[in-house]
Amino acid sequence: MNKTSKGGISKGLTRRTVLSGAAAVGLAGVARAQAPSEIKVGLIVPLSGIYTRPGQVMKMGAEMGIEHINAQGGIKALGGAKLKLVVIDCGDTTEKAKNAAQRMVAQEPDLVAATGSYLSSFTLAVTEVTERAELPVLTLSYSDLLTDRGFKYIFQTAATASRQSELGLPTLMKLAENASGKKPKTVAMLMDNTATSVATAKALKEKLLAQEGLQLVVEEVWTPPLSDATPLIQKVRSAKPDLLLFMPNAVSDAKLGLEKISEFGLGQGKIPTVSFSITIAEPDMLQSVSPETVQGIMTIVANWGSKGHEALIAELKAKYKEPWMTQNVISTYGDMWLMKEALEKAGKADRNSVAQAFRTMDAGPSKYYPGGQLKFDEKGRRVGAGVVIVQGQSGVPVTVYPPELAQAQPFWPKKS
Amino acid sequence: MLRMRSLLPPLLFTLAYAGISLGVTNSYYQLILTLVPVWAVFGLSWNLLSGYTGLISFGHAAFFGIGAYATALGQIYFDISPWLLIPVAAMLGGIAGLLIGFPTFRLQGHYFALAMLAYPLAILYVFEWLGFQEVTLPIKRDAPIAYMQFSDPHIYTLLGLAIMLATIVLTQVIERSRFGMALLAIKQNEAAAEAAGINTLAWKLRAITLSGAIAAAIGGFYVQVLLVVTPQSVFGMLVSAQALTVAMFGGVGTVWGPVIGSVILIPLAEILHAEAGARIPGIQGVIFGLAIVCVILLAPEGLFWKLRDLLRKRNASKATASVTPETAVANVTALKPAARQRAATGEVVLEVRNLSRSFGGLKAVQDVSFKLQKNEILGIIGPNGAGKTTLFNLLNGFLKPSQGEVLIDGRNMSGQRPHVICEAGIGRTFQVMRPFLRMSILDNVVVGAYVRARSDAEARKLAADAVARVGLSAVANRVAGELSTKELRLMELARAIAGQPRILLLDETLAGLGHGEADEVVAVIQQLARDGMTIAIIEHTMQAMVRLVDRFLVLDHGAVITEGLPEVVTRDNRVIEAYLGKKWVGHAAN
Repeated sequence: MNKTSKGGISKGLTRRTVLSGAAAVGLAGVARAQAPSEIKVGLIVPLSGIYTRPGQVMKMGAEMGIEHINAQGGIKALGGAKLKLVVIDCGDTTEKAKNAAQRMVAQEPDLVAATGSYLSSFTLAVTEVTERAELPVLTLSYSDLLTDRGFKYIFQTAATASRQSELGLPTLMKLAENASGKKPKTVAMLMDNTATSVATAKALKEKLLAQEGLQLVVEEVWTPPLSDATPLIQKVRSAKPDLLLFMPNAVSDAKLGLEKISEFGLGQGKIPTVSFSITIAEPDMLQSVSPETVQGIMTIVANWGSKGHEALIAELKAKYKEPWMTQNVISTYGDMWLMKEALEKAGKADRNSVAQAFRTMDAGPSKYYPGGQLKFDEKGRRVGAGVVIVQGQSGVPVTVYPPELAQAQPFWPKKS
Repeated sequence: MLRMRSLLPPLLFTLAYAGISLGVTNSYYQLILTLVPVWAVFGLSWNLLSGYTGLISFGHAAFFGIGAYATALGQIYFDISPWLLIPVAAMLGGIAGLLIGFPTFRLQGHYFALAMLAYPLAILYVFEWLGFQEVTLPIKRDAPIAYMQFSDPHIYTLLGLAIMLATIVLTQVIERSRFGMALLAIKQNEAAAEAAGINTLAWKLRAITLSGAIAAAIGGFYVQVLLVVTPQSVFGMLVSAQALTVAMFGGVGTVWGPVIGSVILIPLAEILHAEAGARIPGIQGVIFGLAIVCVILLAPEGLFWKLRDLLRKRNASKATASVTPETAVANVTALKPAARQRAATGEVVLEVRNLSRSFGGLKAVQDVSFKLQKNEILGIIGPNGAGKTTLFNLLNGFLKPSQGEVLIDGRNMSGQRPHVICEAGIGRTFQVMRPFLRMSILDNVVVGAYVRARSDAEARKLAADAVARVGLSAVANRVAGELSTKELRLMELARAIAGQPRILLLDETLAGLGHGEADEVVAVIQQLARDGMTIAIIEHTMQAMVRLVDRFLVLDHGAVITEGLPEVVTRDNRVIEAYLGKKWVGHAAN
């Protein structure tokens, strides 16, 4: 392949020969899928570039899921066929993601379903390809746009961004009131301008802040990567809000911001800080900042390792040396089980049947996603998808809400 | 015939490429095959501006992104077909080019490059602020073809190829025309180009408009392929860099450069991503970067030029016996220096009245007045720093005089732009030579001919005439880079006279020449004068000048000391004092 592509015009024949060879290999793959002793599912996530880390973590979740499913007898409806994971790197740009998706559908014709791709921009590009190839894709990305396009082959397991803020903010306010005895009145919002932050902010500004009686006193937006957080935090310090919504999506941005918050003496609850993404609770964060910096900080996330996942969390720690289970692990793990569920229901290792199974599925309460059912609405959104609130406690982000999933009691940072 | 011959390679290339594309059934390989012409066209659009003019643009993503967003948003909000939107995008890109070019062309070199860098980054934020972080094209299930949504990916490749072929042909036409010559001249020396009668700003604006239009069109097409637009993916640094990378890798200033660069780099990057990236994530970037670094080190001007130089060298070593430059050069010496009847017709073609120019406190030229009569050779002499070159710069419009007038045929032309003055009939050469090293002698000279020629053919004819007049016909097809100093001086002379000026300003044309060589050049200048040219020449070498000129004008400290016949001037004490200092006046008298 390498040689032929360089060949240009003169080696056209060689290239064609090799490519037809490649196509033949693909056909062989199709033939093999007829007797499904092995069923391929895809994981298309960033494994190079700045989003490598979440991609790797998602891979851990997928591997664990596949291992567990296969150990428990594989797909029973298909004679105990085993699942096989195909991992594809979607890189760090929209174009790379699109190319990778094209590679996935072209090179792996016998995939029955896939999951990905962390950043919603990547998932958007990937699903543009998979939709046309009629390959069902599960995603933990939560941009509303993903499931607003009228697509038939995308299934969003997380609550959408606007839904998350709708669910999360009132809960947070309740927590605050219960713990501190008074309701926050003013709020500062620092956000990057990625699509998810923008969607969250839109929902907050248009509806939720007013609904909760919060007054927005500072609003600052940056484009990642953040080079210096000083001007942002300075504004927060002079405005002295009751609540700070800090919404980074890159670990480096989160680190810069939190360290600056700490440096300005606003940390550890002087100004209660809340985030809307998992970035702030990523293990890498705690590798680069001290536990005190994130103590008490809460974040509203679409999923988290919670009560009932103890065995999984222990296994993750033992096997991959991950300190805790983030949304990326648990959701991707759950995706594998969801794929198994659909395969069992479809009874066929065929992407369209699997897609149909996702659409018509009604498999009761969900075990690996917070709230709701294993059931998708006509847009492909999981019915009743809820949120989890996670709080940094002694260096570990633990689930504090909802109560049925909580690993610890929440505490509201008190102004000192 | 020339057209046909140049048209054939791109046509063959496109056909071969289309053939390969049709043979590929794998949709992923097909996507790569689609992206190659996309980035090639983007590289070509960059090349059209930066490759030919040498004004490096780090901001071509501005046009690309404008095209991309125009096409995407037009479909989403107005439900217009991309078949219509892509031409509209091209128009918007052209307008953007004009708007960006007009203020930015005031800057040169690095400053231009940096200013260009700012545009896409600024526009990126605008689009983010507008809330277009993620825009996806609506799927048109009922009328896919009307919305350029093909289920057969081959068609995208073929469309991309069609755009590429059109761009290649357009570039080739430009390359060979007055347009391309003007751009090349700007690249070599913008000032010299102005002096050769080229309205540099107008040509640069045309180039950036066209370049912006092409970039925007291909940006619009790219969206049809990518289906998702984010500000980063069309306005980002990497996008601007992509244009530079493919063009610089393949070869700058040639139509094939971006094509070669794209054909190699785009599949290479993808293969690395697919093959190496799966094993060692991230390694693809390292290999890709290293490959580019190596090529830039080994072939700093790009693969195309490296290969062409190698081929030339091989052909040249084969053909050393047949072509002997020595015999060709001998023609120059054949022009015997002959005494010229002084042609003092008395008709004044250039009159300078009280011309002054100061730089801050320094009066570089003060109150200079003289008349240049038709068909005379005026020698302007004076010690270093006397203001000779400044005087020339005032005459041909590089500098605006603080005071005074320059009358050409009785019309006051002081303060006009150089290309206007050139059109009025003043040609000039430079103290420091500015040959276009990669071009043949004839092509070098053609640049100067356009000021008079209406068509490309006429320009070539004028240029051939001019080359013949300086005695370089035999070597006219050699590239300027292989010439000796004397030949280069003669070539510059030819370039100046190709525009058929009536007055020629020669700035130290004999500098750097050996004794015998200077004589040959003198002979050519004399011949020009015999043919009716009026000449003003600056020179240090008194000896050669005495034999050449009809009259001397002596400057010192920016002012005229004396003016007169050579025999008289060289004995003038003030002249000797100016050149040698006071104490030599006594010696010289003896």
